[in-house]
Order: sequence, then C-alpha cells, then structure tokens
Amino acid sequence: MFKNHLKIAWRSLKKQPFFTFLNIFGLAIGIAGGLLISLYIYDELSYDKMFADADRIHRVHADIKFGGDARKFAVTPAPMAESVQNDFSEVELAMRFRTQGSLLLRKTGTEANIKELGTTFVDSTFFKMFGLELVSGDIKTALKSPNTLILTKTAAAKHFETNEAVGQTLILDNDDAYTVTGIIDDFPENSFLREHTVFMAMSGYEDSRLVNWGSNNYQTYIKLIPSANIEDIQEPLRGFLSKYVIPGVQQFMPGITEKQFKAAGNYLTYSTMPLTDIHLKSDRVAEISANNDVQSIYILSFIAIFLLVLACVNFMNLSTAHSLKRAKEVGIRKTLGSNKGELIRQFLIESGIVSFASMLLAIILTIVLLPLFNDLADKNISMPYANSFFWLILVGAAILLGLFSGSYPAFFMSNFAPVKVLKGGGSSSIGGGKVRNALVIFQFAISVFLIISTLVVYQQLDYIQNKDLGFSKDQVLIVNDAFSLGNQADSFKEEVKKLSYVKNATLSSFFPTPSSRSDSTFAPEEGLTDQENALSMQRWGVDYDYVATMGFEIIAGRDFDRNFKNDSTSIIVNESAVSVIGISALEAIGKRYTPDLSDENPTFYTIIGVVKDFHFSPFRAEIKSLSLHLSDRAYALAVKLESGNFSNALTGIEDIWNTVAPGQPFDYYFMEDSFNDTYQSEKRLGSIFFIFTGLSILIACLGLFGLAAFNAEKRTKEIGIRKVLGASISQISYRLSIDFLKLVGIAILVSLPLGWFAMNKWLEDFSYHIEIGIWVFVLAAVLAIVISILTVSYQSIKAAIVNPVKSLRAE
Amino acid sequence: MLLQLNNIFKWVNSGGQRIFLLKDINLEVHEGEFISIMGPSGSGKSTLLNVIGMLDDFDEGEYDFLHESVHTLKEKHRANLYKEYIGFVFQSYHLLDDLTVKENLEMPLLYKKYKGSERKAMVADMLDRFNIVGKKDLFPAQLSGGQQQLVGVARALISNPKLILADEPTGNLNSQQSEEIMELFKKLNQEGVTIIQVTHSEKNAAYGSRIVSLLDGRKV
Repeated sequence: MFKNHLKIAWRSLKKQPFFTFLNIFGLAIGIAGGLLISLYIYDELSYDKMFADADRIHRVHADIKFGGDARKFAVTPAPMAESVQNDFSEVELAMRFRTQGSLLLRKTGTEANIKELGTTFVDSTFFKMFGLELVSGDIKTALKSPNTLILTKTAAAKHFETNEAVGQTLILDNDDAYTVTGIIDDFPENSFLREHTVFMAMSGYEDSRLVNWGSNNYQTYIKLIPSANIEDIQEPLRGFLSKYVIPGVQQFMPGITEKQFKAAGNYLTYSTMPLTDIHLKSDRVAEISANNDVQSIYILSFIAIFLLVLACVNFMNLSTAHSLKRAKEVGIRKTLGSNKGELIRQFLIESGIVSFASMLLAIILTIVLLPLFNDLADKNISMPYANSFFWLILVGAAILLGLFSGSYPAFFMSNFAPVKVLKGGGSSSIGGGKVRNALVIFQFAISVFLIISTLVVYQQLDYIQNKDLGFSKDQVLIVNDAFSLGNQADSFKEEVKKLSYVKNATLSSFFPTPSSRSDSTFAPEEGLTDQENALSMQRWGVDYDYVATMGFEIIAGRDFDRNFKNDSTSIIVNESAVSVIGISALEAIGKRYTPDLSDENPTFYTIIGVVKDFHFSPFRAEIKSLSLHLSDRAYALAVKLESGNFSNALTGIEDIWNTVAPGQPFDYYFMEDSFNDTYQSEKRLGSIFFIFTGLSILIACLGLFGLAAFNAEKRTKEIGIRKVLGASISQISYRLSIDFLKLVGIAILVSLPLGWFAMNKWLEDFSYHIEIGIWVFVLAAVLAIVISILTVSYQSIKAAIVNPVKSLRAE
Repeated sequence: MLLQLNNIFKWVNSGGQRIFLLKDINLEVHEGEFISIMGPSGSGKSTLLNVIGMLDDFDEGEYDFLHESVHTLKEKHRANLYKEYIGFVFQSYHLLDDLTVKENLEMPLLYKKYKGSERKAMVADMLDRFNIVGKKDLFPAQLSGGQQQLVGVARALISNPKLILADEPTGNLNSQQSEEIMELFKKLNQEGVTIIQVTHSEKNAAYGSRIVSLLDGRKV
C-alpha cells in the first residue's frame, strides 16, 4: 500500500510541474530562511559554553548611581575578587581581568612593532578558572611573576616560531620588557576572549594590589563550588556597600553614612551574571567584548517562525485550491472502497514528498547563501555537516512540516462526498474558500507588517546617519599610536598641519566615536564634601585644537587658548553637565570644580566654556555630562582634511609618520567608518529585515499566483459565459482580480496597527529616534497592493483572453 | 434475498419546501437478478442507485443488505459492507488518469488488503478474461471510450462482488461499444453476478430480467 501511495503521489506531482514547483520552491525558501536563522541563533546561544565548568562561572558587576549619572558597569573595584573569595565559602575561585586595549609589541633586538588589539592583565588563576591548558610552557609558573605574559598561538607566530616562544622577551609599547612564559590556543570565535591575544601577569600591575573601592576597572569572574547556589551570595554581596565601600568613601567624604548616601538618591549594588548569559543579556560599561542583544534573537526567531508558517500556509492554500482537480480522484477511490484514513495517508505522503524535496532544495539554498549571510551577519557560521543531531533535526523538521502543511488539505479533501464530486457538481460543491481566504489574509498581513518594519528600521538608520551629531565626523582621519612618538608627537602634529590639504589636527585619546573613556566624579569648590553636589562626568584630555578640529559649537564662554597662561586648569563642559548642575550655560562660566576628591589640596578647574551637546555614545543612550581639559598625553592624532583628495592626504601624512617614527606601523582609520561601525547591529537588523521581508513577500506572491491560476481555471465556464454575453477583457480581469485585492485590503487593515505598535516599541530603545509617519503605512499598503495586482493580473488577463467557445465546449 | 428496500424516502428542503427525490420506494432484489432502472431525467434513478450503493443517505425507511440493516449501521461499517460486496460502474468510467490499466484494476484490491502475489494473480486473471492484456501498461487517456469502460467493468468485478451497480454504463459510448458492454453484463449475470443498471435505453433495458420504472421519485 505504501509503495502504491508513493507511486501515485509521485505521478500526481509530476503531472502538475508548475504547481509542484510553486509548492516546493515556496516551502524551500521558507525552510532555507528558517535554517539560516536557526544556525545563527544556535551560534549566538553557544557563546562561552566551551569553557570547562562554564555553568559554575559568574561575573560580578556593579550598578552605581553617584553624582547624577546611573551607570551599569561590567567592572568592579580591584579588591572585589579577593573579598568574595575570602568572604564566601561558596566561591571556589576568583580572578580578574584588567583590559588594556591595544599594545605595541616587539621582540628584543628588533625595531618594528606589531600591534595587538586585545591585551589584558590577568590573575594567575586564569587557567584554573577557564580550564585552559598551555600549548607550551609550564602552567604552574606561567603568569605568576611580574613582567611575564602568555600569548595565543596566532600572536606568538607573529614574532617567533611557536615552539621557541617560551622564554623569549617582548618589549611592550617601547617600554617594559616581558618574558613569554606560555602559549595557549586561540580562543574560539564564540568566546568572550576571542579578540584577546596577549595576557600579562596581574602581579606586575601596581593598581591591582591597592584596596581602592572607589574606582571600577576590573572584570571579576568567580567560580562556585559545585554544590553552591549563586542566589545565596547575592544578599551578602549587596552588603559589600556598608562593609567595604562606605568606609572607603569616608576617607575623602568624612562622616558620610550609608543612610545619607542612599537618601541622596544614590545607590551601589553588586550582583552577578552567569558567564553563559553575558553574550546575549549584558550591555554594560566596559564589557570585555561586544555583546549581542537578546532582543535581536527574539526578533529573528519570530521572523524564522513567520517564514516557515508562511511557507506552510502557502502549501495549504495551493493544495486545497488544487484539490478541485483531485476531487474526482477522491470520489473514485471512496467508491472503490478507500476509507478516509487511507486517503489522508495518501495526501500526507504527497505532502511529505514535497516537504522532503523542499528540505533538499533548502539545504542547497542554505549552502549557497551561507557565505552571503555570514557577510551580512558578520559571522563565521558553517553547516554542521558532521553533526548527526543536525541531520536528525532536519529530517524531523521535514516530517513535521509535511504533516503540518499537509494536514489541512488532507482532511479537507478526504471529506469530499463521492456522490457530489462524481456527479460533476464540481468546483461549486467544494468548500474551503473561507479558510483559503483567511490564509491569504494571514500571509499578506505578515508581509505588510514586515514592510512597515523594514521602512521604520531604515528610516531610523537614515536618521542616525544624518542627524546633527554636534561634531563633524566627515573627512576626519585618525592616526593611532601617536603616544609611541613620545615627545615627538607635537612636532608630528605641527608637520601634519602644514600639509596643504589638512585643515586642522588635534592630539587626544578621546573621540566622539568609540575610543577611550574616562569617568570621574567632580565636586564644586563650594560644598566640596557634600555628596549631593557631586557631578559624574566624562573627563577627556585634549589639546588647543580639539574643539575646532571636531567642529564643536561653543554656546557660552570660550575655547582653550594658548594666550591664557592658566588654561591648564580650565575645563570646558557640555550642555548636559550644565543642566545636571541646574544652572544656565552662562552662569556656569567661572565655576570651579575638582576631580581630586580624596586629595588634601585638590586642583580646582575653572569652567571657561560650554559646548553644545554632541553624541559621543550610541543613539540608544542619552548624552551624558562631559568635560574637556588640556592634557599632553594623547593616544591618537585626529586630522581634519579638506574634502577631495584623500589618497594624497594619506600618503602625505604617512610620509611624515615614517620620518618621525621609522619602523612603527602606520595605523589609521576614518572617523566616519568608526561611527558607522557603532551602528553595525542596527544596520544588520535593517538588512536582515530587508532580505526576509523580500522572502516573505516572494512566498506570499507565489501563493497568490498559484491561487489566481486555480481561481481562473475554476471559473473558466463563468468567464466563457460572461464573454459570450458581451463582457470585455478588462471587465473580466477586474472581476477576477478584485476578490484577491479585497483580501489584501483586509490584510493591510489588520497589520497596520500591529506594525505601528511593534515598531514604536522598538524605537523606544533609542533615546533619539524618529516618529513614525503616516506615509510609512501608506507606502506599505500601496506596495502590498501593487505587488498583488502584478501577481494576480497575469493570471486574470490570461484567463480573460481565452476564446469562450473553447472553455464552454470543454464543459 | 440480496437486498430489500422498505418505504424509502429521501428529500431536500429548498425554499421552505420539501422536495422529494425518492418517495416510498419498496424494492426486493434477489441474487442473480439483472434489474434495469428506467425513467425520465430527474426521476431519481441515480439517487436510488446511490442509495442502494450506500454512497448516499436516505431520510426515512429501512434498507436491509444481506440481512444487515444498513440504516442502523455506522458509516465505517457501511463502507466495509459495500467495499466487500458491491462494484460500481460509471457513465464516464471514472478511471484514475494517473494510473495504468493494470494499476487501476489493482486499486480495489489494495483497499481490501490483498497480498502482492494474490493481487498480481487476480489482475492477470482479469486482464485475460477481458482480453486486455496488451493494454495493461497504457493510461486511460490512451484508450477508446469502449475500452475504458471495459476496464471500468473489470475493475468493478475484480474483487468478486455480489452486486454490480452501473449508472448509465453505455451513456458515453457508441452503439457498437454499447452492445459489447451489455453482452458482457449479460454474460456476467449468467455467471451469477447480480446487476442493477440505470439506463435510458429500452434496448439496454431488454438485457435485464426486470425493469423498475421511476417518475418523480416514485415507483410506477
């Protein structure tokens, strides 16, 4: 019987190549989309799970509000690790990272530096914490003594033969000598340490030994003993405020109590997060590596499910419409003794074949599209060919999809009454129209919803890119590693400024695009020890040309000026800082603040100017308080170029670099690129929306196209009669199309409020965002209507121009 | 006695009016009979045939088939009954277009769960008997109307039914083909198969042993 079912299924599919193609292709697109997204999500969920005992590792972090700003830190004070280990019996192990960003490395006896982007100090418990092993070197002594480091294989290979690396010396930033004591494997792409290649011994880092609870700079990880519950340490961890932090603060704010601290609206809460949750759920200041947002995982899951459901709906629609043709078959089979069960099995086998064929096509599509998708999602995902579980899931999915999408048509068709369908009552006696209509509405509602989403996401991206940022990011070139020039940095800058196509140049470590950040708490001259007046601000060291080069607008006071002798103790603040203080910009001029709260003789800085707010963190966040002061320590040189000849400018600057710093790598980037990178995840979301919207519309159109074809066929006789009675081709095409357009119209009405609601929710995440205009909805509706008219009209017109004699005779 | 209809009524309600399709039909059919149901269009011939074939319900009355009360049976049970004992022949043949002659013949056997070897033997036997061995791998569209109906009859016969129901079996055939099919029916009847046919043609009706005439759903 089964063989017979297969044979018949195969023949009936072969007999209707167009219909079969629509079905398989539609389903394959849906599956391929779902598969790609699933691979992506699988990869996202796999982060940091490769470490031994990953489920027992947690990160300690801090939520702090003090002096205006509320911040969530991924970092804690230096003594945190030791304190948790001593205070809690549940904690088996604690270790810290103190990330250093990029460093220049060279082998002793060579001139040329090689830059490593991810470097960090680590405690010697690093290996034990993450279950790491050394490729070479002695794990017992590696990272124990000061000025030792370990490298990843890749980093080591840049300087040495891997097996000779241990025992060699590297010079870091042309300054300190470090001995290589071990080599580890590179960290996998889906680990939080993926970008880190150089790990220096914490014991050589002075600051790490100070018991300072006032600054947060250390990523602290703890490993629990197997029987411990992380919840048990949360409460005592919160108690650290009164146990350690308040006594520490009292040193510079004598007499402050926890009660006062809290009464002023401040808080400081330590808590933990499981290591394996960090990648998707953590968005804090000073993360070790960039994380993803779990929301994007939810959105993608929805899209994947949408796509699959759309494809199944398509299948149901086409199959039930197609059943008009198979009604006779059902009737004959029933009179020959087939019962409902057997017919259902027959149709389910058919849908099973379609679903397996679609799965095969989908796998091919996925293999072909994976590189493109990787590009888009900035990933390195591969098909897990060797994973038998993966194939099992695919086969299971194919069976499920076949059952799911085949069930409605199967039950629908097996219910035909043989007397009716054999008597040639034909199409009119076969129902299911209402369900089909509902399915079409469903498909188009989803498509319109996705169109709206795409439009809004793109509009928001456009807004971000064209918004007045308060600084000019265009034509600004940033040359890294200026600090390595030492006291030649200034002359480098002056030489560069002399170039004809250079407008201005400035030395600093701090830029509005992602770069160094430094947070300090300032107190005013009057009321110095009164915590209510404390003001938490970014503290950026800049030079005289900074404001002009960045294109900031001074709204009160003046810029730094070489003619004013005491500008070394002047600061410029932004509008936000002034509004947090609660005075006007003009009133702020002349006020004196100090960041040296714990100092006996603090240096006071006078506010000499107020700049208009500029965006120095992503649009998601509000603009926070910021101050600029003069400093001669600078990491990079920012060069504002005349528009036009970039390559000339680049060679000019590189030539100067090579004369002042022979052997140092010339490392630069454009500020605009860096700015765009900040919005990578939004951009990615935009492109993903765009692509999957396209796919869902394509699937919906395939379905509509097929339905229109069957509708036209079903009404062949009606069309013939109408034509004989004098209807024109356009009248008939209109009549055939209008039914579908009504459905699309209903779909639009359903999806508009949904789209409005969902996208407003998404926009709420951005402190600065667009308002959704009416035109978005109008455009989405018009698009849906135009696309469906194009899809349906081909079939309608084709049916309308048929010679009526033919269609009437056929009856 | 093969089957017995007692006071069968069937109606539809249309516009508040009850329209009778079958009205007080009483009919006894004995094994070995060859009955022709006749009457003008709309007189209820096909409806009666469908009721006898258990493809259609009736609203009132009693129907006994081989001493089973059809009107009290559940649908599944009823289907088993006609699967076992009744073969159908249609005016427009109703062969499955996707299947070859051989496969069309095999179809009813599949539903009765015969083993593969048995099916093969029965199909071969039937092809032989109807002299269509040479056509076994052709599809219905490759056959003439007469040949298709021949296959249709062979298919109805293949599982040895007690009763053949034929709804205008020659309606789509020319006179020579008609004659062949009717001769075939006569021969089958002589071999012991009970046949009930619906026909318009006096000539075809003459092959039968008894004529049941209908007018507006009533026996006359």
